[in-house]
Amino acid sequence: MANIAAKRIKREFKEVMKSEEVAGGTIKLELINDSWTELQGEIVGPPDTPYEGGTFLLEIKVPETYPFNPPKIRFMTKIWHPNVSSVTGAICLDILKDQWAAALTLRTVLLSIQALLSAAEPNDPQDAVVAKQYREDIELFNLTARHWTNAYAGGPTAIWEFNQKVQVLLDMGVEEDQARVALSTFDWELERATEHLFS
Amino acid sequence: MAGYFEEMGWAELEDGQQPNHLLDMARFLIDFGLYEDNFTGEWPRLPPPASKEAVQSLADVTVETDDKSCPICLKKFNIGDKAKEMPCHHQFHAKCILTWLDKTNSCPFCRHELPTDNEGYEAFKKEKKRAEQRKEDIETLHNSMFS
Repeated sequence: MANIAAKRIKREFKEVMKSEEVAGGTIKLELINDSWTELQGEIVGPPDTPYEGGTFLLEIKVPETYPFNPPKIRFMTKIWHPNVSSVTGAICLDILKDQWAAALTLRTVLLSIQALLSAAEPNDPQDAVVAKQYREDIELFNLTARHWTNAYAGGPTAIWEFNQKVQVLLDMGVEEDQARVALSTFDWELERATEHLFS
Repeated sequence: MAGYFEEMGWAELEDGQQPNHLLDMARFLIDFGLYEDNFTGEWPRLPPPASKEAVQSLADVTVETDDKSCPICLKKFNIGDKAKEMPCHHQFHAKCILTWLDKTNSCPFCRHELPTDNEGYEAFKKEKKRAEQRKEDIETLHNSMFS
């Protein structure tokens, strides 16, 4: 890895460790390997959102050309959000693409991703299905996002009706993640989700 | 009163210069609403590198405090270090900022834009500015009529 990238990540790492967000427990950063190219981020779901109480892990890959090119970041924890792929965890955020600036740091990027959880951009979606639900039925979207936070991110609110429906599909031999995606996609209508899974 | 060319932000053709028919066609399509993605939008990619001239004319300065760091490599400046200063007064190591401006034209700290050598991008910027000006003019007119 080019020298400047590794050196900068080291400096950033120190900065993050001293930051008030780490002290307050809203973000975390961990090293994955010794060459400073892979890190793991952690953000907590912002209050007054369906993600509240959840802890979300992020995979961070630092390119050799960092900080002239943005870090590659995706959600490792599954999340129901218009700007995050419910399948791959890929994030649609301008500063991770064409609005990247070399003065941005892992700390400011993690804070921006956290802010994205509070303020989705449904008109610039990463996941068209989620964005459609967000635009057309925000209440159902909020419930679904809360259910996902409970199922994958340790969120506190279990939604009994949704859990029951997932269980019905599990009993039919469907894999859990698949069952949850299908039900979420078809607005929790068991019949349509089943039809989709078995067609 | 400003001339037509001036008002439109255009220059007359010099002797021996040929009109750019592709550009005319593009303007025609935009003006008649046949091309949806007009100039209200954003430049779809990372803006092009800063122009050679702008990069060459960046000020060389000597750092006078030791409480600042280069925003690109985050290394602390020492008093007496040489640095390059952008027109927005942000200071960087020469190597750091030159690598960045070779990629895109704005200050990594505040996004202040330098000119580029890319005709398309410069036209886009001009058009965007005009669109903003037009919007403002209409608002002023509206306010003067209905206040």
